[in-house]
Amino acid sequence: MAILINENTQILIQGITGKSGALQAKVMKQYGTKVVAGVTPGRGGQEVEGVPVYDLVSEAVRAHRIDAAISFVPAVFAKDSCMEIFDVGIKFLVLTTEGITDHDMVDIVAYARTKGARILGPGTAGLISPGKSKAGAHPPRMYTEGRVGVISKSGALSYEVGKNLTEAGIGQSTVLSVGGGPVWGMTQKDVVELFQADPETEIIVLLGEIGGTMEEEAAEYITNHLNKPVVTMIVGRAAPVGKSLGHAGAIIEGNKGTAAAKLELLQKAGARIASSPREIIQIIKEMRGE
Amino acid sequence: MKLFEFQGKRLFKEFGIAVPEGTVFTASQPLLESMAAPKVLKAQVLAGGRGKSGGIKVVRSGVIDQEALNGLFTQIIEDEPVQAVLIEDMANILQEFYLSMTFLGSLATPVLIACPAGGMDIEEVAHNTPEKILRIHLNPLTGPSDYQVRTIAKEFGLKSSKELAHIINQLWKMFRHYEASLVEINPLALTSDGLMALDAKVVLDEKAAFRHTAAYNALLAEQEDILQTGEEVSSTKGDTITYVPLDGTVGLISDGAGTGMLTLDLIKDSGGNAANFCEMGGLTSPEVMYKAMEIVMANLDIKSLLVVLIGGFNRMDDMAEGIIRYRQDHGMRVPMVVRMCGTMEEVGKEMMRQADIPTYEDLIEAVRNAVSLAGGNA
Repeated sequence: MAILINENTQILIQGITGKSGALQAKVMKQYGTKVVAGVTPGRGGQEVEGVPVYDLVSEAVRAHRIDAAISFVPAVFAKDSCMEIFDVGIKFLVLTTEGITDHDMVDIVAYARTKGARILGPGTAGLISPGKSKAGAHPPRMYTEGRVGVISKSGALSYEVGKNLTEAGIGQSTVLSVGGGPVWGMTQKDVVELFQADPETEIIVLLGEIGGTMEEEAAEYITNHLNKPVVTMIVGRAAPVGKSLGHAGAIIEGNKGTAAAKLELLQKAGARIASSPREIIQIIKEMRGE
Repeated sequence: MKLFEFQGKRLFKEFGIAVPEGTVFTASQPLLESMAAPKVLKAQVLAGGRGKSGGIKVVRSGVIDQEALNGLFTQIIEDEPVQAVLIEDMANILQEFYLSMTFLGSLATPVLIACPAGGMDIEEVAHNTPEKILRIHLNPLTGPSDYQVRTIAKEFGLKSSKELAHIINQLWKMFRHYEASLVEINPLALTSDGLMALDAKVVLDEKAAFRHTAAYNALLAEQEDILQTGEEVSSTKGDTITYVPLDGTVGLISDGAGTGMLTLDLIKDSGGNAANFCEMGGLTSPEVMYKAMEIVMANLDIKSLLVVLIGGFNRMDDMAEGIIRYRQDHGMRVPMVVRMCGTMEEVGKEMMRQADIPTYEDLIEAVRNAVSLAGGNA
């Protein structure tokens, strides 16, 4: 099962001829991801890593069944390229692009909603369903197939925790990052909802950070709807007040957005609290009675 | 980019939102002739909390001369010396409201926030009387609807929604045109001359600078003139480095915001104190790695340097190149602890081995070592 992508998912890469697009096409294919088409305007007819390149997304969907897309298109062209994806009926887009303006991003999400499509990102490292498929940057060796679902805002933190889980012999169903904001497509809550419905996922690891209200919204969903165990770690406990730490939204303003406040809500929702990746492992082992 | 009040008001005016008549004076620009009261003197600072700090003076009678102005120029508000003062006509206020537009990030929607109790700290109102605050989600593809305006007019107790509709629609146009992340009018005053914006808080989205180069640069140049800032930490412009100085002794560089924050926490848990937070972004180059080391090592309080790398899009051979080149050019005056794993790690680690720089696999071990080398308790 896993969520969002699996061994059958056929993927299109937007911006496949760029440096990142080409490298990830190679790594994704090596991993076994079904990369069936690429798009870069003006490069139709070429091949990248054996993947046919088209000028237009509409041409690619005429030639292949496409279930999902991953975009490496620069921020300047992002709005147009996202609309192109949604207009052909593709329902899931992994948007790795950083630096998309907030106004463009709300337009893109509003448009996706009218088409019933989901966006992971922007600025996401993507996702991996270990042993099945990956769309994005997750280094394959840090993951192994299993039954723990991992949601993070930060990409690097989802590698860090994946690596720790894998080294401890704990496999994952799907690991993903939603990006650093301040405007998001899918939220942590949306992903928790998908893990809830996935029979293969037994335990959910929720990785949050200071700032914003997304962890609080996830906590509310967990309280009201979730019947799977959750382990959570919120980073930025030692963060100074009033400074954005790398993600635009990762900021404590006054007494709002602190790790302590988020942890309190998540604990009330029934989540177990970890303060390091090692503690996440310990708690999962306890939950499994190991 | 946060704007000064007078800059925000200039944008309001451009979009046909009424503001009081006013003139800006800088510290280096004397008041040539005194002005007749009543006037409002407002310190122009980017910091918040101006009203509470005495940065606003109402002069009801007599004249405004250089001395009155100097009273504001000698003030420091939240560490920010006052470098400009806006002198405005005093409005005849009948009622004060609050109006703003921003984003709800996790819902990815623009929101119009309105409150009949304006002129006050909106956070305080939200805390004490949350029912007074209207949060209306706007569809970015269509903008505010008339019924939404009428909802607010009713809450404000206005007989007609016509003037309010003009302000809300023009504010929306400005919000969209300049790609602001926040436009706030607090207070929006009902005066004897109609609705008027008595204050302006505008924050522009720096990511949109590519589309508004001339306008953003002009606003920025004007701010630099007033603040007389030389080169600050803005040396990081044009790349993805975030640098926040702290007061400890462990220098920190990470290639991800989340792992950077995690490491900050782990340093503290291990009894140490970070000298800074420095995050390079998840897709970076040897040049950015090199530059991050220059920025962090410029702090002479540092006793050890901890570099935490876990590459996804980021390549470890690139990171090794940046680290090794920095050491060749500058040497290292403090011990360096590098944790390196992820994309292209074999090549990166081999480069480090040949340069005789040890790398760590385990994050906690690396943190404890860096803390102990800095003289912490670990």
